[in-house]
Amino acid sequence: MAIKQTEQKESMLKKGWWLILLLIASFIAPLFVTEFYLTVLCEALVMSLFALSFNLLFGYMGQLSFGQAAFFGLGGYAVAMLITKAQFNFWLSLIAGPPLAALVALIVGYFCVRLRGIYFAILTLAFGQLIFVVIFKWHKFTGGDDGIQGVFPPDFLKPSTAYYYLILIIFIASTFVLWRIVNSPFGQTLKAMRENPERTEFLGINIARYQLITFVIAAAFAGLAGAIWVPFYRSVAPSYLFWVKSGEPVMAAILGGPSTFFGPVLGMFIMTFFHAYILGFTHFWPVIMGTLILIIIFLLPGGVLGFAQEKLKERRERLNQLTKK
Amino acid sequence: MFLQTQGITKEFGKLRAVNEVTLEIFKGDVHAIIGPNGAGKSTYFNLITGYHPADSGKVVFKGEDITGLSSYKRCKIGITRSFQRTSIYPKFSVYESVLMGLLSHRGVTTNPFSSAKKFFKEEVWRILEDVGLPDQANTLGDSISHGDKKRLELAITLGTEPELLLLDEPTCGMSPEETETTMVLVKKLSEERGITILFTEHDMSVVFGIAKRISVLHQGTLIADGMPEEVRASEEVQKIYLGGVK
Repeated sequence: MAIKQTEQKESMLKKGWWLILLLIASFIAPLFVTEFYLTVLCEALVMSLFALSFNLLFGYMGQLSFGQAAFFGLGGYAVAMLITKAQFNFWLSLIAGPPLAALVALIVGYFCVRLRGIYFAILTLAFGQLIFVVIFKWHKFTGGDDGIQGVFPPDFLKPSTAYYYLILIIFIASTFVLWRIVNSPFGQTLKAMRENPERTEFLGINIARYQLITFVIAAAFAGLAGAIWVPFYRSVAPSYLFWVKSGEPVMAAILGGPSTFFGPVLGMFIMTFFHAYILGFTHFWPVIMGTLILIIIFLLPGGVLGFAQEKLKERRERLNQLTKK
Repeated sequence: MFLQTQGITKEFGKLRAVNEVTLEIFKGDVHAIIGPNGAGKSTYFNLITGYHPADSGKVVFKGEDITGLSSYKRCKIGITRSFQRTSIYPKFSVYESVLMGLLSHRGVTTNPFSSAKKFFKEEVWRILEDVGLPDQANTLGDSISHGDKKRLELAITLGTEPELLLLDEPTCGMSPEETETTMVLVKKLSEERGITILFTEHDMSVVFGIAKRISVLHQGTLIADGMPEEVRASEEVQKIYLGGVK
């Protein structure tokens, strides 16, 4: 048993290498990339956090939410309105985003967690669109389809590089928290609910309650993503809550691999950078994105990271068998 | 009084699947419910565990009326079950599956920050040793044999440290040798852990070898209940179920 444990520790260190490299790369990135790509990098990080929040529901709890953008948008609107209309402190405004999203998720989730599969997806879509319409139509309060402009961060965060580090730190901290959550007893319970809800209920788990808690946590992180994005972009618009926006994390998760923790991040990075790059040549981005998704689904089932993990596992097993012989 | 059903009834449309069954289960017993297919055994289990709500009658557990209690709450107060169609976690390792029962029962599933793997190592290994699955600890649930899956489900339920364990056809689809080992195991668990076991079974030789008490269901109605000898001697049981075999 002692040997097993040291082996585990060694393999953890081996596995952790790429993470350490990525961390170093992300901290020195602003030295090497152009202003344009730094902006893209910021967007990729924010959207990755959004995708991770979505995958807590999709990959871990096993429910497809099609209204996650509503919480992203609510976080964004909270910050925008507090800063521009209430002249609120930037940091306090930022902190206000997640609780607002969580509160709304508590109400929406109360109804949604009673349903499963396609019905859950449709109801989240309906609620998401409902919140979108309220913001879109309530011109006096939210600015309607004009959105809100002039959402500025404090002066020292105005340069892209400075704001990039803020985003990076929030992203790393959130990812760490989410990582701990999915590997905790609570996360294990989510996976058990996904794998076999009936068995799990008959082990003493109140399924609806755990789904509601997860829905609220996921919304809070989506709200946080929206909240840090808006001051960087200096504005917010109702399109942030639109169902098309909700589709982005779905695609990112499928692209990268919903069964892996970092799959949605990889998917979002591929999408965001590809998008930025392709737009230099053509406006037919959706065609290219569609083709990309098709290729992934047919050639790499389980997403890029899911597929890679599967292959690695197969190789390890083959090696194990060889050494046994 | 440990568990008692009082005139419990369940109807599906015009079919009365369980018809006013009044039965008492005593603490520490290995109690078998027998009856031909469609006798209402599984439905009776479903009423005790809260899978179906009862149409009328009461379920009383340790003096408390639990008829209206939801299934997860019944598990929390000590009633756990297995399913006839083996219900496990296909993508969980055997170890993780057993751990899940323990996490739930010991009330740590709301912990969002500690590593799940650190919990209850000794208890999981003890259960795995008890049911004879320690070598498969790292194998995925859907890659083990049918007999092992049945034992895995038993192991998962043991994690909830039940006082009353309901096993719905625990040897269904097993070879004679596997059946033998499983029933010996069930008896051992009952004795060592003091679990009261209620199980359904269609193989008579198995039942008479292990059960301390036997109840016979026929078309939803309880027609006999008592010690194995008493049940075996009952003319009615012989007529409709045992087919005259002595």
